[in-house]
Amino acid sequence: MPTLSDYLVLSAILFSIGLAGALTRRNTIIILVGLEMMLNAANINLVAFWHFLPPSPTGQMFALFAIAIAGAEAATGLALVIAVYRHYRSVNAEDISNLKG
Amino acid sequence: MNSSNILHVLNLLTPEIVLCGLAFGVLLLDIIFFRSDSVEHRHEQLGCSVIIGLVMVFFIYALQYMDWQNTFVVGHGAFVASRLNTLFKMAVVGLALITVVIGFKTPYSTHVGEYYGLMLFSVLGMVFLISSEDLLMIFIALELISLTLYVLTAFQKGARRSVEGGLKYFIFGGFSAAFLLFGLSYIYGATGHTSLREIAGALQGDQLAKVPMKMLGIGILFTLVGLGFKIAAAPFHLWAPDAYEGAPTPVAAMIATGSKIASFVALTKLLLIGLPAAAGSALSWPTRWHSGWAGTVAIIAVLSMTIGNFAAIMQTNVKRLLAYSSVAHAGYILVAIVAIQASGVPAPSAAPAIYFYIIIYALTNIGAFGVVNAIGSKAGGDDFEHFTGMARRSPYLSLLMLIFMLSLAGIPPLAGFFGKFYLFAAAVQADPKNLGLLWLVAYAIAMSAVSLYYYLKLTKQMYVLPAKDPRRVTSNPAMNTSLGLIGLMVLLMGVFPNKVVERFENLNANPYPIWEAAVPPPPQPEIPVPAPAEKPAVPAPAAPAPKS
Repeated sequence: MPTLSDYLVLSAILFSIGLAGALTRRNTIIILVGLEMMLNAANINLVAFWHFLPPSPTGQMFALFAIAIAGAEAATGLALVIAVYRHYRSVNAEDISNLKG
Repeated sequence: MNSSNILHVLNLLTPEIVLCGLAFGVLLLDIIFFRSDSVEHRHEQLGCSVIIGLVMVFFIYALQYMDWQNTFVVGHGAFVASRLNTLFKMAVVGLALITVVIGFKTPYSTHVGEYYGLMLFSVLGMVFLISSEDLLMIFIALELISLTLYVLTAFQKGARRSVEGGLKYFIFGGFSAAFLLFGLSYIYGATGHTSLREIAGALQGDQLAKVPMKMLGIGILFTLVGLGFKIAAAPFHLWAPDAYEGAPTPVAAMIATGSKIASFVALTKLLLIGLPAAAGSALSWPTRWHSGWAGTVAIIAVLSMTIGNFAAIMQTNVKRLLAYSSVAHAGYILVAIVAIQASGVPAPSAAPAIYFYIIIYALTNIGAFGVVNAIGSKAGGDDFEHFTGMARRSPYLSLLMLIFMLSLAGIPPLAGFFGKFYLFAAAVQADPKNLGLLWLVAYAIAMSAVSLYYYLKLTKQMYVLPAKDPRRVTSNPAMNTSLGLIGLMVLLMGVFPNKVVERFENLNANPYPIWEAAVPPPPQPEIPVPAPAEKPAVPAPAAPAPKS
């Protein structure tokens, strides 16, 4: 039977992988994937806490709302990536750098 | 008091429902009636309906403000209706109104209905963020604001810099959302609650021993990172200059004002209502430094003031300059947030000073963005060179810009000076015996001296240098009037600052726990629709509430 700390370690690892991916990759779509992993790590936390805390629907509800918001965020992000691709013919973060200062 | 009667809750939520209906209504109106019209025509028609709708919402809030004496808490803090919150909501709706006015007749794309619809949804997120005292609601409202503003930033689809600004804003915002959610999940896990008042209850007295402090600390740190992105505090400010420069100017104004107000209110509430027990102390570094959020916030404040002010000096674009100046201003406000819990109890003057400063800052900034929009759309850009010699080309707009710049810099007769004065005075008074926060205040004052340099640099560009292009720059009467009104308010708030601050102080000392509540309010018998039999415990002294 896994304990609370097992879940927390799992989610911390997932968060770190997501963060590392989002920070090191240059492709904006991979950055988006990293962001989604970070959000899902938080969802694992929420559900794990919900399971081990005294019974109340709060944690699960939090996770459900967070999943919906993550979905909306992914949709917005992909739409923005497409809008950028039309101008720059690239989704590489290094190529998208007109604004500086 | 706790409200669970559904009719009462709907009654409290009237303005939000109207706002939501307005947002959908604008979208439908565009599709059903105006589909075949020209873009300019649609922009005019929809703009007018949005202005009428927002004025309506503003007046409903004004009525609520005059009518209420009590604080109503719905669902353990998911929605808290109080006079203080209503005041902030009025400010946000008023700023949205000005945003619509300054963007009037300048369509950035053919999607007019979506432009106004997204703007209204963003305002909806702001009003919900202001009135929520629950981690889940804070997260949802913050994301509603962010997601709409990402799209609005990239709204000028034909312009490279707009979509680029939008994507950068999105990527940094996505990081902040992930950090925020992760941090909130740890706070929830450590305390077992999502309601801010219940979290405060779980951190009190002998309850505290049961709370895993390390987990709570990491949670608070991650949450501060997430909210630090939203308020554009350094080192999480990297999106701000690109988003401000790329975004259509009215949208940049909205990011800089409305969403800042809402985020600062949420941050203040989270730290002051939810986590006062974890404040620690940043007094007299390093001898009396206790670990807690105060120290972290102090570090963020110092970084924001330094990076914001020094990076602003090097800018040659007015919107980028305003972006870095907003980073610096976030730093000044954070100084007072450090002070708010500095000596263990809530400092009485700190919270009103913060509210006053946020309002002043937003008002001055929206004025500045309005002038930038008016000049920029006629002069062909918003770099410094487009502003050269503007005093001769457009004396009225230049005078307004001068007022806004001097107010941002904090020159005495203007509102910005008193904003800073109250802020720094509150920080000094937080620990009157030892002046423990003097190091931070001294640094903040030194940094605002630095800020004078770049504000005056822009003013010099407008007033001293000769114009290359002698043609006059004019803007439409509606814009002139509203900008003039903002300039007048900045002046008047500088002449009579005590009138506004008193109001915040009175609301802060409201008999019902609003901000200072560290204890969850005792369960009270449910009172349906505002009972006329029940007298308000103590009427707010300055603003006698007339029954309208």
